[in-house]
Amino acid sequence: MPVEVILPKVDMDMETGTIEAWHVKEGDLVRQGDTIFEIGTNKAVMEVEAPATGAIRNIRAETGVPISVGTPVAWIYLDGEAATTPSEPAAAAATVAAATSVSKTEVPATPAIAVAQTSSGLRATPLARRIARQNGLDLKTVAGTGPRGRISEADVKRHLEQRPRCAPAQETRPAPAPSANASEGRLRPFSAIRRIVANRLSESVRTAPHFYLTSEIEMSAARDLLGRLAKRHERIGAPKPSLTVLIARVAARILRDHPVINASTEGEATRFHERIDIGIAMERDGDLVVPVLRDAGAMDMPAMTREFARLREGMAKRTLTPAELGGGTFTISNLGMYGVDSFTAIINPPQGAILAIGRTVDKPVGRNGEIVLRPMASFTLSSDHRIVDGVAAARFMADLREALENPELLL
Amino acid sequence: MSAEPMSADQKPNQRPELAALDDATVAQALTRMHLIRKFEEAAEASYMRGLIHGTMHLSIGQEASAVGTTLPLEAHDYILSTHRGHGHCIARGAEPKLMFAEFFGKETGYCKGRGGSMHIADVEGGNLGANGIVGGGLPIAVGVGMSIKAQKNGRVCMVFFGDGASNEGAFHEALNMASIWKLPVVFVCENNKYGMSMDIGRAMAVANVADRAAAYGMPGHCLDGNDLAGVAAVAKLAIARARSGEGPSLIECKTYRWRGHSKSDRNLYRSKEEIEEWRNQDPIRRLEDELKAHDRFDAATLMKLEEDAQRDIDAAVEFARACPDPDPKDLTRDVYAL
Amino acid sequence: MPSDTLEAVSEIRELSYAEAVREALAQAMEADERVFLFGEDVGVYGGAFGVSGDLVHRFGKDRVIDTPISELGIAGAAVGAAITGMRPVLEIQFSDFVTLAMEQLVNQAAKIRFMFGGKASVPMVVRLPGGSGTGAAAQHSQSLEAWFAHVPGLKALQPSTPHDAKGMLLAAIDDPNPVLIFEHKLLYKTKGHVPAEAYRVPIGKAAIRREGTDVTIVGSSIMARKAEAAAERLAGDGISAEVIDLRSIRPIDFTTIAESVRKTHRLLVVYEGVKTMGIGAEISAMIAESEAFDFLDAPIIRLGGADSPIPYNPVLEKAAVPQEDDIVTAAANLVRRGEA
Repeated sequence: MPVEVILPKVDMDMETGTIEAWHVKEGDLVRQGDTIFEIGTNKAVMEVEAPATGAIRNIRAETGVPISVGTPVAWIYLDGEAATTPSEPAAAAATVAAATSVSKTEVPATPAIAVAQTSSGLRATPLARRIARQNGLDLKTVAGTGPRGRISEADVKRHLEQRPRCAPAQETRPAPAPSANASEGRLRPFSAIRRIVANRLSESVRTAPHFYLTSEIEMSAARDLLGRLAKRHERIGAPKPSLTVLIARVAARILRDHPVINASTEGEATRFHERIDIGIAMERDGDLVVPVLRDAGAMDMPAMTREFARLREGMAKRTLTPAELGGGTFTISNLGMYGVDSFTAIINPPQGAILAIGRTVDKPVGRNGEIVLRPMASFTLSSDHRIVDGVAAARFMADLREALENPELLL
Repeated sequence: MSAEPMSADQKPNQRPELAALDDATVAQALTRMHLIRKFEEAAEASYMRGLIHGTMHLSIGQEASAVGTTLPLEAHDYILSTHRGHGHCIARGAEPKLMFAEFFGKETGYCKGRGGSMHIADVEGGNLGANGIVGGGLPIAVGVGMSIKAQKNGRVCMVFFGDGASNEGAFHEALNMASIWKLPVVFVCENNKYGMSMDIGRAMAVANVADRAAAYGMPGHCLDGNDLAGVAAVAKLAIARARSGEGPSLIECKTYRWRGHSKSDRNLYRSKEEIEEWRNQDPIRRLEDELKAHDRFDAATLMKLEEDAQRDIDAAVEFARACPDPDPKDLTRDVYAL
Repeated sequence: MPSDTLEAVSEIRELSYAEAVREALAQAMEADERVFLFGEDVGVYGGAFGVSGDLVHRFGKDRVIDTPISELGIAGAAVGAAITGMRPVLEIQFSDFVTLAMEQLVNQAAKIRFMFGGKASVPMVVRLPGGSGTGAAAQHSQSLEAWFAHVPGLKALQPSTPHDAKGMLLAAIDDPNPVLIFEHKLLYKTKGHVPAEAYRVPIGKAAIRREGTDVTIVGSSIMARKAEAAAERLAGDGISAEVIDLRSIRPIDFTTIAESVRKTHRLLVVYEGVKTMGIGAEISAMIAESEAFDFLDAPIIRLGGADSPIPYNPVLEKAAVPQEDDIVTAAANLVRRGEA
């Protein structure tokens, strides 16, 4: 019997995944352990290895379409096995094969045609169609778990739960027709990560009423402390601490006193998190990723520095699990190293706030009636006004200033 | 039983069958025969003018059978008729204007336009309906007989069928059951020689349908069906036997339909000579001639009976044409009783 | 067993299906002298399946009438008696023999009222023992009820419990229309609670035998019972099946089915008659045409008789009609995989 290749579950709470790219094509010979496709979850991209050695047949999953975990996406025929379809009608297999060949086109020159071919093969139950209709949902974006990929009520509901706050108007908007100059320039389809980020941030902007508080904070004491910590870390064999980690450490400390900032929206309720998990916004190959310092409130500086280094290395090597790349309770985004003075960040939903940090630069400030130069940095807190009020955010910023300017008070 | 037509030179001695019918009864019988004839001629004319939607089966030439057999029935007795049943309805006193309304498919017709020519019924009047299925009424008559017996109401059920129906299983099952249970049923076979196109001689191995009665232990009477008085006399005996609880009888009236089986019949199976020969046996003229021969009715009186019948039929057609069609929203109204 | 000896027992007394039918017949005859029974061997013999039993001794041979083997004739006799004021109850010894009586039932009984413009009614009842499972082979085991459900003017019932067998027969005898009652032979010995009084079970109303949320199983006649047993097993497997006993296939209680489908989103129809062009086809189509369509989360599945005459060999005979295991498997697959 041919060996089934399924879309694997690679994260604990994962229900669907998207095949980011196939590394093999119909008929290719693969060895067990070869990477055969990349899978994007809502948190990360993972490589999937061939479960057996043989020929890939009946590739039936398209790239870019969410698929429920456990769905067979191809079969591997062992040496000598007749290449008949094992459990699928020949016609269905042929349809899938055709669709796959379209999706394998490097850059679809005629995306409209590709879409049309996909939608004509769409299988969905009447109930699934009805719910999709009511929610303005395009079923092409939903993964079907039923026979021959049929989309059921459960598939649609799962899909809607994953993107609960998407405005229907956006969903029903038809795919834009290729513009007149469509052939100009280069068209790169969104990666799975890009699509996830795009959806989450669009959703955040559409649904979370943002407001922003900016504080200029003197960084003299923090710099001194960072210098002292570097020496200590060298002594104890810990990596050199960065300003970002220090700020994360300080934030983790004061968040204990500001539960409303370490909170998320959940429907029409506020979820106050007991643990402080701080996400650090980072860039990898042009994509935004947010590894999480899990239980940051319980870490001392060396531990946090080590964990941050591990995350950064894992990210570069793509060894992080989806769990390590999502699920924070508060996010820090530092663009100071790129020379940015100040900026406002978009909240990473369902979190309630994000802290944006600009560069530290000497600025003239008044001290004891005199104008003096001090290293100053701009901190901007974006808050979701549904759960965070201005005064609460301001108190957090005040504590942040006090802690950064007088870090010994944290001891 | 005499099956020979009377001739004028037998004037002095009226045969007992005719003598048994008083003038009023004879006039009534003649009127009914005229009404049947005029009704069917008018129906045929209406059909040719496109006023009638479906086909029809005309019994012109068979009037003595319909009128003669039913003449001895009482008002509360039942009949079950056939696809060639206009005569039976009129013979039982159905109103031609309501029959025409039914022919024209009007809401005022006997069946509110739902039945048409083949399904005219007047249940309240004891006419349990014509039947589009050859032999369809025969088993039903058994059940009617069972009702009469159970209800002990003294009624009789007369069921008409054709020579063709006597080859249906229903005929044999019905005659057998009516006989074993001694039901008050009179089976009347109007043998008009053809089951559509098939000659009875080719369809049946015995000479007469009435011969089959012996197989079911009941009397079988083979009659000249164009002799009103002779038919009425035998029918009276059979009805009396049924009513007295002695059981059913089978009467075969040998007759002839002048017209084709239905409006689509081109008469390919019979000759003009044969048709002409039977037209000379016109049951109405034969009765009129016999009555005149015995000075029971003068020509003027007879003429008036015919003219009155024609007037009634003309009025009936006028009535029916003016009636409203049924409303499509009532299509399924009478499928079920509530 | 004479029903009046049982009437003394308390209100939870149990009767067999056959006893329940007999009790209904007896009560109808006691209450209305227009009611009479007839059919082949219904008298001293007591009916081929013992349903009429001792009724001939209680009501006499004028009201419990043995007939010649003349199915067409007796069907027509029922029609004639019905249109002239009687309330005949006819037994067709095996439902297969109704083929001989089709003319009277389909052309006459069903149409007389309509053809006569509503001026007659045909209040007759025909009881038809049918179904497979007795080794009676192809000409004595059919389930032909769908034929009659196709004919406007007739009513067709399939009671599955002793309670309904009695209540629906009494309702049928009251009904002013020709009513055919298809009694599955394997049900005759099944027992159930039957109240002693002459109660009626309304014609055209399905019964929800078990409430559930995951799948609606519609069964007719014995298949409703098998569906109930299957639902019990499915519950042990975590699947909540709603079981609807059709009871009447003309008129059919579409509302109850549609409401259930709106709730469970899945429909499995089980019937013993040949699957092709059968009851399931009609129910499926009615759902597909209705608002309930939009609530389906899986294809509608039919389990029906094979496209084969009923065979004699017991293994083959079982294979020719849906069994409890088939219902369990089909329902579980429908819920779990979205296909049978």
